[in-house]
Amino acid sequence: MSLFSRLLSYLGLKKKEVNILVVGLDNSGKTTILNNFKKDEDKSQEIVATIGFNVESFHVNNLTFSAFDMSGQGRYRNLWEHYFKGIHAIVFVIDSSDSLRLVVAKDELDLMLKHDEIASKPNLPLLIFANKMDLRDALSSVRISQALGLESLQERPWHIQASNAITGQGLQEGIQWLTEQLINQKK
Amino acid sequence: MYHKRDKKDDEDLAIAGNIFAKITKTSALQDARSFNETPVNARKCTLILTKILYLMNQGETFTTQEATDLFFNITKLFQSKDTTLRRLVYIGIKELSKIAENVYVVTSSLTTDMNAKDDLCRPQALRALCHITDGTTFQGIERYMKQAIVDKNPAVASAALVSAHHMAKNIPEGVKRWVNEAQESVNSDNVMVQYHALGLLYHIKKTDRLAVSKFLAKYAQTGLKSPYAILMLLRIAAHLYSQDKQNGPYLSFIDKCLDHKSDLVCYEAASLLLKINCSTPINTAAAFAVCQSGLSSSRPVVRFAAIRTLNQVAMLRPTLVEYCNVELEHLITDSNRSIATLAITTLLKTGQEASVERLIKQISSFMNEISDEFKIVVVTATRKLCQKFPRKHAVMMNFLETMLRDDGGSEFKKAIVDTILHIIEDNPDAKEAGLAHLCEFIEDCEHTNLMIRILHLLGKEGPKTSRPARYIRYIYNRLILESAPFQAAAVSSLAKFGAHCEDLLPNVIVLLRRSLLEMDDEVRDRATFYLNVLLTKQKSLYNQFILNPLQVSIVDLEKSLQQYILDPKDTPFDLKTVPLATHPQNNDESAKKPTVNGMKPSSETVRVTKTAPNEVAETRRAIYEEQLAYFPEFEEAKLGPLIKSSQPVELTESETEYVVKCIKHVFKRHVVFQFDCINTCNDQILENVRVSMQVPEGYRKVCTVECPVLLYDAPGTTYSCVEIVSDNVSLYVGTFENLLLKYIVKDCDPNTGKVLDDEVGYDDEYALEDIEIVWSDFVQAIIKPDFVSAWEELGPNTEVAETFALQSFKTIDEAIKNIIYFMGLAPCERSDVVPEGKMSHSLYLSGVFHEEDEILAVAKLAVTNEGVTMKLSIRSNNLDISNFIVSIIA
Ligand SMILES: Nc1nc2c(ncn2[C@@H]2O[C@H](COP(=O)(O)OP(=O)(O)OP(=O)(O)O)[C@@H](O)[C@H]2O)c(=O)[nH]1
Ligand SMILES: [Mg+2]
Repeated sequence: MSLFSRLLSYLGLKKKEVNILVVGLDNSGKTTILNNFKKDEDKSQEIVATIGFNVESFHVNNLTFSAFDMSGQGRYRNLWEHYFKGIHAIVFVIDSSDSLRLVVAKDELDLMLKHDEIASKPNLPLLIFANKMDLRDALSSVRISQALGLESLQERPWHIQASNAITGQGLQEGIQWLTEQLINQKK
Repeated sequence: MYHKRDKKDDEDLAIAGNIFAKITKTSALQDARSFNETPVNARKCTLILTKILYLMNQGETFTTQEATDLFFNITKLFQSKDTTLRRLVYIGIKELSKIAENVYVVTSSLTTDMNAKDDLCRPQALRALCHITDGTTFQGIERYMKQAIVDKNPAVASAALVSAHHMAKNIPEGVKRWVNEAQESVNSDNVMVQYHALGLLYHIKKTDRLAVSKFLAKYAQTGLKSPYAILMLLRIAAHLYSQDKQNGPYLSFIDKCLDHKSDLVCYEAASLLLKINCSTPINTAAAFAVCQSGLSSSRPVVRFAAIRTLNQVAMLRPTLVEYCNVELEHLITDSNRSIATLAITTLLKTGQEASVERLIKQISSFMNEISDEFKIVVVTATRKLCQKFPRKHAVMMNFLETMLRDDGGSEFKKAIVDTILHIIEDNPDAKEAGLAHLCEFIEDCEHTNLMIRILHLLGKEGPKTSRPARYIRYIYNRLILESAPFQAAAVSSLAKFGAHCEDLLPNVIVLLRRSLLEMDDEVRDRATFYLNVLLTKQKSLYNQFILNPLQVSIVDLEKSLQQYILDPKDTPFDLKTVPLATHPQNNDESAKKPTVNGMKPSSETVRVTKTAPNEVAETRRAIYEEQLAYFPEFEEAKLGPLIKSSQPVELTESETEYVVKCIKHVFKRHVVFQFDCINTCNDQILENVRVSMQVPEGYRKVCTVECPVLLYDAPGTTYSCVEIVSDNVSLYVGTFENLLLKYIVKDCDPNTGKVLDDEVGYDDEYALEDIEIVWSDFVQAIIKPDFVSAWEELGPNTEVAETFALQSFKTIDEAIKNIIYFMGLAPCERSDVVPEGKMSHSLYLSGVFHEEDEILAVAKLAVTNEGVTMKLSIRSNNLDISNFIVSIIA
């Protein structure tokens, strides 16, 4: 048992379930990221665009994550808000190579953070994956953070993490941050 | 420990049982919010969801908003891995899929489940998925569906095939693309999969007769393994045969199946052969033998199947079934009462007059052991028997009366009362006895509808019997013993006696006076009204307000009154402005029934529910009126209320480029032609579509309403309006000639339906058939409940009479049907039914011409060597009309 997970069990968080909401524009890699967290035998071989949502669950750091993987296509985005209730964290995924639609992503993010259900919980952690970092024209996480105006988020704990969902690079780091946040809140 | 848990489960169940009794929608919707709690408590949510599903199945309705909220709450349950809960979620999704919005959100979740490993969930997830799929999400699931159809797991394959069948209703083109997968599944080893695959394949090809017949030939030869699949082939073959009597292979296939090793198949083949109404001699003997031997099988289900078929066949060919009389006699005492009932009713159909009493006695001995459904079968058989042996009506009446007194549901009681009514109507000798039975029945009757019907009937028939006075007591009893609805009906009924029988009038007046003090408004109002009419002692008022009362359409009356109240005039409300309630013309609705029960469920023989034809006619009129009111052109023309709309008439040959049907809407001074057009060329778009025509004398063109665009296969409508300019009734009828469909035609891409670039189009036209406006277009069929009084009231001065020889008709029945159709009048006093073998008959007809002139007709018909002769007398308040009718028949 790693030091970290020992710490978790000490804090009484062992086998605790956390609900997270995974959102972001279509084609940003949400489903691929979640697939990477799953056990090898549960992994899907091919990933298709999500219609509506999917529930995925996986264990990381001795926590059981139950994730609502929402569809990012325009016509489905207004459905996100139905799943805001009862979540413990938000994961927002960005396609770093899609600089053109970064403004759209910003709009969606702002809209979500302004929603009563989210705005009333300023402690709800927000993890941003700057995904597809492997692509040649990918923007750096700093640039993305600027474009999204993350600095202006005052109270809310947030973190941006560059990632490659195909190789899994950066994913552990991101989820690690999230776990720490959740534990801190427990204290 | 386990033991303890079991006990707890039982307790939970007991509580659940209690909760089911009192759940309300509000509390259930409230509870559903807890689906949002995390982690999901599967046990709790299962119970809540079960309650909600229970409510839905009880017929509770949900608004779109409620359903959508509930639906989204349910989607949260996908977090739970509990299989029971998951399966309930699928059911919830299916139930809500038609009411809630955005149901497609579960598409991905369901696709994941249907491709997962859990075999308990896969078929159910698939079924739910197909429920929420529409044209827009169809493509997303297509690949998975194709895989599922050929899945190794038979439950998955069957679910996919059956769901595909359902989806074909909304997305026929998409499902057609799965024909290869369906074909592959027909080769499955699993009997159900094979059956379902064949079903889907047939459904896909159904509209293409040639393909179906090839398909049948192919599978008839390969010899399918599944008896269910063969059963289906048999029904397809019978269906094809019924459409195209020439074709031998269909029959020979059915014939071959008579010695199949599955008795299911043998029986179906036999049953079909016996029911096929064919002119060519087929192997009925062998088919009959299968059923006959089935009668003495040791298995009740086989006996039941055999007797059920023979029972139906007995209608068509009693002589054939007579051969089984010995076996049938044995079955009378069968311990299975359903079999016994069918045996007796079959014997009743085939039996001789002499055996009627014995059979009735036999069946009476166990009437209270069989279910209501079979009791109704018995009652229907009795009705048939009465028609066949009118002289036996006394035995039958007694039998029916006994049943009427016994326990039974309202459907059953209704069947009995219906039968008694039929007997009374068909057989005047049975009338008084029948009425007497019904009087006894209402002395102690808890079925509101029946009671009111009977009271109404007593009012109609009672006064015309030899001793009307005897019924007064029964009716009056209702007035003092029952609740308001019955009292009201009783008051109306009493008034009829007063109006009809002079010697009873003083008594009736006394009784009505007493009712003036009743508590209920309706009862008191009716009594006051009738009393005042009766006190005038004027026959014509009796006739107008009691015997042949209000004939306007109630729906329209309500509408007109509402309008009058909203916008009051100085003049009093005029009842004449309200459209009349018409008697629906019997168009060949009954002839459409299939002779062979091809693919239809045959349980319909037991109970046929009908919507009142009158209501249908009413709504049809209202719909057209509303549609027409939409166009400013018609508003300008001041059409007034719609009087009558004709049935659609085809103006094109079938299978041409354009299909045009015409409906004639007749108004007071106008006729509007509604042309419903369909463009069957997928490479053309028509614009500015209209119809031009040559108008006959007596009419003038007013306006046309164009159909702006007519896309491929999408119906469009154009209208033409003409005015009736002449007051000469004989110019009302006429032929509109040289009809041309005119339009601008543009070529388009058949795939996208888009007009090709730089296509300007060109004018073109297409010739249509002539339209005729006939006499009956102006006539509304309206029944006079008391024809004779109405006839007398119009008096002989208005009468025109003439005798005709109708050489083209052989029987009175045939003549009656054609006269009714041609004149467009309603038959009264059930005079359209002729007792069998009668050589002369009087037909009473009534109606209203053009919403103003009353027409009554008496046609005395007699069969002669040269067809049928008819002495037609017509009375109308407009002598022109009477003369005109006679002139057009001549
Ligand atoms: N090169 C690269 N491709 C990625 C990466 N992550 C995802 N993809 C690809 O991006 C495509 C879309 O990924 P999805 O996971 O379906 O995206 P999504 O956000 O779930 O999209 P929606 O379900 O439509 O909202 C897939 O073809 C992935 O293989 C990445 O880090 N690098
Ligand atoms: Mg996705």
